[in-house]
Amino acid sequence: MDRAELEQKILELVAISYKKNAEDLSLETSFKNDLGGASVQMVALVAEIENETDACVTLQDAAACETIGDLVDLVENEL
Amino acid sequence: MSILDTIYAKAKQNPQKVAFPEAANEKMMQAAFEAGRDGYIYPVLVGNAEELRALAAERGYDPAVFSFVDIADEEYKQKIIAAYVALEDTHLKEKALARRMQNPLYYAMAMQKVGEVAVTFAGIDNTTGDVLLAGQMMIGLKPNISTVSSIGLCDIPGFEGSEGSLLAIGDSAVCTNPNPEQLADIGISACETVESLLGWEPRCAFVCYSTLGSGQGELIDKVTEAVRIAQEKRPDLAIDGEFQFDAAISPAVAAKKVKRESKVAGKANVVIWPDLNVGNVGVKLIQQFGHADAYGPMLQGFNSVVCDCSRGAPVSEIKGNIIISAVRAANMK
Repeated sequence: MDRAELEQKILELVAISYKKNAEDLSLETSFKNDLGGASVQMVALVAEIENETDACVTLQDAAACETIGDLVDLVENEL
Repeated sequence: MSILDTIYAKAKQNPQKVAFPEAANEKMMQAAFEAGRDGYIYPVLVGNAEELRALAAERGYDPAVFSFVDIADEEYKQKIIAAYVALEDTHLKEKALARRMQNPLYYAMAMQKVGEVAVTFAGIDNTTGDVLLAGQMMIGLKPNISTVSSIGLCDIPGFEGSEGSLLAIGDSAVCTNPNPEQLADIGISACETVESLLGWEPRCAFVCYSTLGSGQGELIDKVTEAVRIAQEKRPDLAIDGEFQFDAAISPAVAAKKVKRESKVAGKANVVIWPDLNVGNVGVKLIQQFGHADAYGPMLQGFNSVVCDCSRGAPVSEIKGNIIISAVRAANMK
């Protein structure tokens, strides 16, 4: 999976986990300020990432990401 | 009969299967053995079964008290995985789940999720963070509950409250600075915890430095908003506030300060702190000045009981917490 495909995949998974439209999300979208996420959604997101990409990111590391772009970087490092 | 005696008696009436993913630990194995030998639970040791059997024999424990689950047993693992992924409220799929289940903590929680055991008991080798993360991933939070939290049960000599010397308090251990919705959920979870463990009819007071508008400010606004949310989400529960602590638990103070009907004021059996600063200081005050025994923290908010024990805990305390967890699990079924 190249970087562009990974970005698209993570955006899709964030949209599913946070129940948003993927078109409304970008790599600059902030988890805290734009998605207002509780830990429940982040748990679902980490599981989806593991299911779909085989990257085993920890919840702590994922929760430390400010933006979706940061999360893509994290997953890319795990792959 | 003390509260622990009452809980122990309940456990013996209906022993539950409890999974121990850290059973190689000497203190944990001893606590599991004693709780099993005395008829409070059916201990299920999860890990390398051969190693665990050898350790049990070496330590002089009758292996008949335990059942052993070998995480290398592929047939049983596949059975758990199939049952787990068939559930609607789980996140992980087969491959990711199989990978997670290489860790006995996740293996045990997968067993719990599919009903093979009633509860998983851990926290002596794993950190609290490990247990909370595994619990959120494998067991999940209850619908409409946004945060994991905890309560403690205090037995306070000389205190004459609505449940005698007992008072449940939360959260003194887990949720650092809850927002109003999270604070509301802590109160709702606390009501469910005392119902399932003690059979109480909960009367839950949200406390801060104001009683029904006697003070103003953002610290109070958070609490009043939490009370509103909690009452809206669970109108069936007796939840009220904002109250000062004395107005919550003392009928005499409540009579002076609470000038309206309240099922809770002056007779609260559950007290919800506004944040972890207050909660931690509060429980220390109760212990130091009130000479109270404080049991817990009992984790709450999960779909089924998730436990964490202190790494420094003595065997007697671990055994007590195992039995408390088993009773909670039995009553949540």
